[in-house]
Amino acid sequence: MLKDYFIRRALYLIPVLIFISFMSFSLIYIAPGDPAEIMMTSPSGGYDEAAVEAFRIAHGLDQPFYIQYLNWFKGAVVGNFGYSYMSEQPVFETVLNAFKNTLTLSVLALVIALVIAIPFGVVSALKHNTVVDDACRFCALFGVSIPNFWQAYMMIILFSVILHWLPPSGFGHGTEISYMILPATVLGTGSAAVMMRMIRSSMLDVMGKEYIQTARGKGLSEKIVIIRHALKNALVPVITVIGLSIGFLLNGSVVVETIFGWSGIGNLVVDSILSHDYMMVQGSVLFVAVIFLLINFFVDLVYVWANPEIRYDRNS
Amino acid sequence: MMKFNIQKTKLSFPAITLILIVALLCAGCVETEGTEEKVLHVVFNEGPDTGGSLDPANGWTGWYVHQAGVYETLFYYDADMNLMPKLASGYKQLNDTEWEIQLREDVAFHDGTKMDADAVLFSMNRVLDPSNSRSYEYSFIKDVRKTGEYTIVIETNDVYAPLIASLVDPIMSIISPNIVDADKQPVGTGPFMFVSFEPGTSLEVVKNPDYWDGEVKVDRILIQYNKDSTARTLLIKSGDIDIARDPLQSEYSALQTNPEINAISKETLRTYFLYINGGKAPFDDFRVRQALSYAINRQEIVDTALEGVSGLPATGIFTNTMPWNANDQIESYEYNPEKALELFEEAGITKGTDGKLYYNGEPFTIEIQTYTKRAALQPSAEIIASQLEDIGITTTVTILDSAALTANAVAGTYDFSLAAWSTAPTGDPDYFLSLHYLSTGNYASKWLRYSNPQVDEWILEARTEPDEEKRAELYDKIQIQIQEDAAILPVFYANEIYALSSDVEGFVMYPNEYTIITKDIGFV
Repeated sequence: MLKDYFIRRALYLIPVLIFISFMSFSLIYIAPGDPAEIMMTSPSGGYDEAAVEAFRIAHGLDQPFYIQYLNWFKGAVVGNFGYSYMSEQPVFETVLNAFKNTLTLSVLALVIALVIAIPFGVVSALKHNTVVDDACRFCALFGVSIPNFWQAYMMIILFSVILHWLPPSGFGHGTEISYMILPATVLGTGSAAVMMRMIRSSMLDVMGKEYIQTARGKGLSEKIVIIRHALKNALVPVITVIGLSIGFLLNGSVVVETIFGWSGIGNLVVDSILSHDYMMVQGSVLFVAVIFLLINFFVDLVYVWANPEIRYDRNS
Repeated sequence: MMKFNIQKTKLSFPAITLILIVALLCAGCVETEGTEEKVLHVVFNEGPDTGGSLDPANGWTGWYVHQAGVYETLFYYDADMNLMPKLASGYKQLNDTEWEIQLREDVAFHDGTKMDADAVLFSMNRVLDPSNSRSYEYSFIKDVRKTGEYTIVIETNDVYAPLIASLVDPIMSIISPNIVDADKQPVGTGPFMFVSFEPGTSLEVVKNPDYWDGEVKVDRILIQYNKDSTARTLLIKSGDIDIARDPLQSEYSALQTNPEINAISKETLRTYFLYINGGKAPFDDFRVRQALSYAINRQEIVDTALEGVSGLPATGIFTNTMPWNANDQIESYEYNPEKALELFEEAGITKGTDGKLYYNGEPFTIEIQTYTKRAALQPSAEIIASQLEDIGITTTVTILDSAALTANAVAGTYDFSLAAWSTAPTGDPDYFLSLHYLSTGNYASKWLRYSNPQVDEWILEARTEPDEEKRAELYDKIQIQIQEDAAILPVFYANEIYALSSDVEGFVMYPNEYTIITKDIGFV
């Protein structure tokens, strides 16, 4: 039954993806500007009319909208996502490379977010309505409210310009962790604040439940009660928030990627939209959509696993 | 209390934190293991387009690989904009349409291949191939052939005076004929050899030990690309970077007073100017355009929007570093609101009782359209708007993406459009003038709706004039006439800013933006 549910869910993804690809293609097509003209505009400022026309013909941009879309679609079905107008490099390879960079940063950011959110969320709930709770809540509110570009600059000024602990920005071959700490922290703290507030309220909810009293009554230590009984149950609603956070992290933050000079998927999407690189926009939007859908799918799975109350039977 | 029971191999959060900290420290250790290598760290504002081809013949990628010191061209402009031979040793014009270029005989590519006529032919043919998206720019070339091991002859279709200058564009970089993958593994003749590239973020190059033009001063260069000017400023302030291109102009004086940093600025070939929709009344009247030019206080724009450091008030369309400029002969539109009002009056634009200007009984309004890719555009547009407001014109500023700007310009739905052009990237005036002032030019016909038969004649004549002096005279005449016609209003000449760590020496700014990294950059 569960299997049926998942197959059904998986099949639903197909029309959703087709719809997304069609929407992104039409939106970028409707947007003012001609990709051929943008591609052929020199950094010095101008473009050559003949070159623009030749580019248009060479890339099939002279054909009607639906033909362009269908041509792209035919390729995409067999796994050919085309070549970037801008760099003439294969779209799929480029998107994958950018995604790999975003993934590295996202994993670290998520770890940072959880390391902050879970202990502080729990402590905040346990010390409900005390100074500790107020302090935690204040920090969380602060974390949600500060814009991440500002936080990024402040952290660079503190840790790089004043203390010289970490490099202010750069890629460091994508492997040196010192380059990842600052961007991952900026991304992580934003998510942490949201998660912490969620964990706190969920914990408060659970702590008042009868089974917690029962567990205590059995003579279990407070630690076991909190970790095994309270936290595990409190985390169920938090899974959705974590899932969403992962989704957003994996789609890349343009602001953070720009400031820290990190070539991730967020930058790739925005750059290709600005340059009307249809092929790259289609490839990256579709990729991002698949990731988002897969994560939602996965979150649902975890949900079922974590909470026996939820069953996706056809009859229920 | 019961002991905390760690089940299976679950990692506790403190453990993960500890692992991360240790990992960080280890990363630091590896990094600081010292070498005697002289490594230069550089941050640029833009690099090869996302997706990342490094082939100089691909679009405008050549600019970036040339800037990085990997590739070289046959000719180049020195820091004073003199056209000089690089991989060529000289040239002579054989007749009206044939030019002979002699090549240096002592140059080898990074892969050891000899740089000779075959290599040059190979490189040029990659650009001239009709499948190359920029081959049209070189449609004046009829044929390129080898006449000796180190000589080639270029034949043009018609007489074409800017031929040698056209070879300065980095798309004409000379690449090794034995190159395996021009997109991923560039092989040039420059002072630096390619190591690695991460699209959008970084490029690493090492010293070419056998460089033909003398000793290269640094061993390795790590180039970062960062689009954020604040981040670039913080990079130079933190000491992690030795050379930063285009830091925040508002930090310029702070950087100058910093003993560890040298901030320098120099005029480029870039002019910021206003396109005027000459197809729309009252802008079709040259007196109105002149009046508008008099109403703009260029010095104020430079002092405020550019904070006095990023530019100079413009006279004509060409900057003072451009060798063909006639700025000493043409009359600049000095700020003069009285004269502007007189000219408006002549053109039938009169002041109403409310102090506003009226045209045909309607309030005279102007919309300035611009884009944000260059930071100075928006603040400049806003100051121009307030200056026009002062004289009684209701003015608004609209920010659009550059694609929408083009669409509006072509459709004729604009008044003013503020733009920034490097007006002579190959150092020759024909390029910009043909596009903007020749009736058939793309911008003359589609943006400005400008046509002056006299100017057309001069432009076409100058293009084919082999005598440099006579050519210069023609360009002077053209510049005087177009200044009077005021189809375009030059606003200011952009300065480029660099911040250098004080131990960097041998860094020189080249006005044409093609050359940045040279063999001479080193440490004190």
